[in-house]
Amino acid sequence: MNQFEDKPPIGPIEQGDLPLVKAPDSIWKSIEATLEAKPEPRRTGVFRWQWAAASLAVVGVIFWIATRPSAPAWRVSILEGSPSVDKIKVGEWLQTDASSRARITVADIGTVDVEPNTRVRLVASSPTEHRLTLARGEISATVSAPPRLFLVDTPASTAVDLGCAYKIKTDESGDGVLRVTSGWVSLEWKGHESLVPAGADCRTRSKTGPGTPYFADASQPLQDALSAFDSGGSAANVLQGILREARVRDTLTLWHLLSRVDPVDRVRVFERMTELVPLPAGVSREKALRLDPAALKSWREELAWKW
Amino acid sequence: MEMVKTAFLLVTAGLCAWGADFSLAIGNPIAVAVKAQGNIVKKDVGMAVRGEGCAEPAQIQVVGTAEGMVDGARRSVPLRILPATTAGAFAVPHDWPLQGTWVLSLTGHCGNSTASAIVPMGPNGFLRESSKFFPRAATAAEVELALTTLAGGAK
Repeated sequence: MNQFEDKPPIGPIEQGDLPLVKAPDSIWKSIEATLEAKPEPRRTGVFRWQWAAASLAVVGVIFWIATRPSAPAWRVSILEGSPSVDKIKVGEWLQTDASSRARITVADIGTVDVEPNTRVRLVASSPTEHRLTLARGEISATVSAPPRLFLVDTPASTAVDLGCAYKIKTDESGDGVLRVTSGWVSLEWKGHESLVPAGADCRTRSKTGPGTPYFADASQPLQDALSAFDSGGSAANVLQGILREARVRDTLTLWHLLSRVDPVDRVRVFERMTELVPLPAGVSREKALRLDPAALKSWREELAWKW
Repeated sequence: MEMVKTAFLLVTAGLCAWGADFSLAIGNPIAVAVKAQGNIVKKDVGMAVRGEGCAEPAQIQVVGTAEGMVDGARRSVPLRILPATTAGAFAVPHDWPLQGTWVLSLTGHCGNSTASAIVPMGPNGFLRESSKFFPRAATAAEVELALTTLAGGAK
């Protein structure tokens, strides 16, 4: 039994009833160590800053929500008829009827005129990409911006703006035509690419995408033969018709055909091209027939002086 | 004296050879790349022009004006001729109005040699077949004739 058990606490304890017990040395050492220790900095100031920061963050979020820009939208103005909208936002469609035409102001880079019976959708509008989908109908685009900033998707191609002005028309299946009036446009689709400079047209077809570009002033027989070629016509007389009709300027068409015909016909195309325009320095027959990308690019850049 | 004669002949021959068959060629805008603010751009270019037959392509200079007829009034617009990334090649921005009938009068210099071109412009770019090229500066009368012909054809 200990000392407390000897004297149970019954009734009030009088002074001197409890025995004096000396505290262990370890307690005093602990007290002294605590007294000698430097007081911790007061945390009140820190809490204030945390609260201030949190409050500021909350105010910032509220301000951002209140003032954030809505989804990018392009202005729509009426050219004819009565399109029902005055702007088009990302994700929205604009549709004209048989008697309506509208002009879309594409951010600050240009305009798109929407012809009758046309359906377009704004897909993206950002500093790095302005993109429309043309489901059907016809638009005329005039754009002043760095290359590859403005794009138009159709059911059978993507028109990538490398230049200034063009018209593109398509039906819902993807059959259509691109006409470039200034600069140049790249028509791209599933790895195929057609470069279409000012003055040239390029048809698009469902399932096969961009056709072979040709200058709008090319002879009708050449255009007809090219249409047959792009439709899958592989008869020898189709290619023969194109080669026979080709002028110097039509090396635009022949240059594209080089990579679209089989190796035997490639030689025929190559020889017709070099009949029309001598092969430039730095481009060899062997490299051209091998479709060496650098050689073909150099050749195209030199041919463009004849287009 | 003989040495002086020889030297004179050599210098003369050299100058002639420097730009012996100097001429201007025109091309689709796709033919040139123009640097602007560090990026290569091909925007707003009406056509391309380059000097050919010059021993020092980097020394070629080209100047030009657009000569036009707008609503019956004669107009003349100075052209900006922008050096392309290839020496001796230039871009000609579309600085003339969309309205009216226009021909471009371009003059190039290579050393002491001069060549020129008169280029009629159609609705879809320049008209190569009716462009005219001269191994000298074109005269005002030649420019007027080209403009009148184009305007007549456009009616």
